[in-house]
Amino acid sequence: MISFQHATVTYPGGVHALRDITLDVPAGQLIVVVGLSGAGKSTLIRAINGLVPLTDGQVLVDGVSVSGASRRELRDLRAGVGMIFQNFNLTKRTSVLNNVLMGRMHYTPWWRVMTGVYRSADREIAMQALERVEIVDKAYVRASNLSGGQQQRVGIARALAQQPKVLLADEPVASLDPPTSHVVMRDLQRINRDLGITTLVNLHFLDLARRYGERIIGLRAGRIVFDGKGEDCDERVFRDIYGRSLTADDVLEARPQL
Amino acid sequence: MTTTKAPGADVRRQPGARPRKPRRYGAWLLNGAIIVAFFWAIGSLEDLGLADLIGAPAKMWDIFGLMFSPPDWSYFPTAMEGMVESLQIAWIGTMIAAAASLPMGFLAAKNVTARVGSTVTRQVLNAIRSVPELILAIVFIPIVGLGAVAGALAIGVHSIGTLGKLSAEAIEGIDTGPVEAARATGASQAGVMRWGVLPQVLPEIVAFWLYRFEVNIRAAAILGIVGAGGVGSVLQNTISFRRWDKAGMTILVVIVVTVLVDATSSAIRRRLIRGSTAATASDPTTEVVA
Amino acid sequence: MRWTTPAAVVVAAAITWWSASEDFGIGLSLEEIASNFTRARPIIQEFLDPQWSYWPAIVDPFMETVKMAIVAAVIGCGIALAAGFLASKVTSPNTVTYLADKGVLSVLRSIPDVLYALVFVAAVGIGPLAGIMAMVFFNIGIVAKLLSETVDAVDLGPIEAARATGGSRFAAVRTAVFPQVLPNYLAYSLYVFELNLRASAVIGIVGAGGIGQLINIERTAFRYDRLAVIIVAIFVIVFVVESVSIAVRRRLV
Ligand SMILES: Nc1ncnc2c1ncn2[C@@H]1O[C@H](COP(=O)(O)OP(=O)(O)O)[C@@H](O)[C@H]1O
Ligand SMILES: [Mg+2]
Repeated sequence: MISFQHATVTYPGGVHALRDITLDVPAGQLIVVVGLSGAGKSTLIRAINGLVPLTDGQVLVDGVSVSGASRRELRDLRAGVGMIFQNFNLTKRTSVLNNVLMGRMHYTPWWRVMTGVYRSADREIAMQALERVEIVDKAYVRASNLSGGQQQRVGIARALAQQPKVLLADEPVASLDPPTSHVVMRDLQRINRDLGITTLVNLHFLDLARRYGERIIGLRAGRIVFDGKGEDCDERVFRDIYGRSLTADDVLEARPQL
Repeated sequence: MTTTKAPGADVRRQPGARPRKPRRYGAWLLNGAIIVAFFWAIGSLEDLGLADLIGAPAKMWDIFGLMFSPPDWSYFPTAMEGMVESLQIAWIGTMIAAAASLPMGFLAAKNVTARVGSTVTRQVLNAIRSVPELILAIVFIPIVGLGAVAGALAIGVHSIGTLGKLSAEAIEGIDTGPVEAARATGASQAGVMRWGVLPQVLPEIVAFWLYRFEVNIRAAAILGIVGAGGVGSVLQNTISFRRWDKAGMTILVVIVVTVLVDATSSAIRRRLIRGSTAATASDPTTEVVA
Repeated sequence: MRWTTPAAVVVAAAITWWSASEDFGIGLSLEEIASNFTRARPIIQEFLDPQWSYWPAIVDPFMETVKMAIVAAVIGCGIALAAGFLASKVTSPNTVTYLADKGVLSVLRSIPDVLYALVFVAAVGIGPLAGIMAMVFFNIGIVAKLLSETVDAVDLGPIEAARATGGSRFAAVRTAVFPQVLPNYLAYSLYVFELNLRASAVIGIVGAGGIGQLINIERTAFRYDRLAVIIVAIFVIVFVVESVSIAVRRRLV
């Protein structure tokens, strides 16, 4: 479904965020990417929907090259890739439903977007997305009035409203407390299983990664240093990824244990 | 990691039914009111002569061409003379307002003056502010005669309102430490103001004066249309007699001089203080949105 | 900094002396002003004794002023909505548009409202149309500038989210930026409506309709008792509208 071929990203200023990444993600997999802050996780995920352009190599999504796409093609490609953010990135001053309808913008004529009068079929899709994350009762509430966990579920609903083939989540639980983190992670797991959407999740916490990841990718300084099952990700591998031993900061639950 | 039940497993929500779409009358009402008011206003304005609009863009373009291709350079000394007088009017007006607004600022500051006094002063300042300079000029002209002095007085009086209010706000924002220190030495109330308060707020207040000077240049450039001195009368004469090339020259002088003085003044302001409204209010045409 | 303070005071004093002097400046003399105020007693008395029975005559011109202010604010703020988004780096499609728009806006703002009125009166004739056109330009400059600064400061997260869904730039601005700046935009619109009421008194003097035109008639007829009525009325209306507008704007933002 997603294929990195010698993908390289060097930011203006000379930071090498991704170095020669080659990676294949089969359809339907739930992959967790772990690594220290600054390892290149966000860059890896944004290379998939073209929010960050590659400086070398290429990334294919469902056979389409991201860097070779025209602006129009890139927008078509993005429409098939849902994205979830650490800070939720909701438009806080408008309703939950309006936020989720953003996921239908690509399929909506400009004058409907301008007036905010979406087709009833699109509203139905948005409502169903809210039902899937069990927050439909808040549809007409202002996004700013929701708790962090609720806002993130709206973020997930917005991505689901795109009816995507791929779901990207950039540290979706980093701004949430531990119980809420589990709720959100389980939502993602359920969506992956029920709908078969290929899912990439960036995580900072190793215990969450091991619990929810079918497959774990360890990233360090822009390179893949681990690629395997959660149970193979032991203390030694950990040291490879983090360059030091495990501390309390690296796990969600208080005790540092694997 | 212990397996079994994940933490937070019992945080599952009730599925919840779809809510009904709430009716939001507010937005509809506002939009409706604006549309109705707009068409009512257009419909009921007599002698609007909307037909004149058809030819207007072409006409404006012609006028623009006549003004600036090229402007009448020989008219530069006349235009410049008027503009210099406008600058002088703006400066004197600002000085008058500065001198008068400083005590008013203290009187209007809640942390200096008792509640009743400060509230009354504040209302007086607001009242002064709401009479435009040009109207004040119309009042002063029959009293002090046609000319720049009437303009300077008009600008001076009008600016007292804004400057007094801004000074009061600066005074209210002071650090109370030095005030208490001055009080502890047994200084009089006046002494406390002079040594405890004034040094703290003066840079900011001076920056406000400069800012007001920039605003006042624009006002002083038009006062001439009622005979209160400055370049305004030159503008009015050249435009109403359709001496477009001379008008173009005058407008050019007004814009260039205004921009240059602005740049100088705002550079000084930024040096004087950093980060306060007085320094960041970088564009006098938008004033400080209260 | 120490030595610059006395230097600044000297420079300021010199400018003041130059500006006030009889030979180089405006000829400001306190004695003369004082004696003028004494001599102008009858005129001041006339100002202080308004002809209240005159008030019905000012109702129509005042209504005209209000109508002009409404029409101009609606048109000006509508145009400023587009101009404001184009003048922010956050929402402008490219640097050329951004710089061009910013440049045009700063030229628009550097021209005083009365100057617009003078030119439009010459172009379309005396009356409210010239006044409305002057106010429209005046409003575009102010609202677009304030709006663009608000847009500069919006949360960029929702824009990234909108782009990530495959939305166009326009769609991203509409759904991710517009709701963030709407309260401010409404506040600015109210603010310029209020400015228009005040400006109308002034631009009418050059023939652009509204209450200003009446001011000009009474001014040239030396009817200070009537001028006093008009001034009091302007004062009351501006004061009331401003108080309401400030209260509403506080709640909005
Ligand atoms: N827009 C950018 N411009 C320049 N450097 C960037 C930019 N975004 C990220 N970087 C740098 O690229 C590296 C990888 O960043 P990122 O992908 O955000 O890592 P992570 O998400 O794992 O914390 C970091 O060193 C970061 O400072
Ligand atoms: Mg990151």
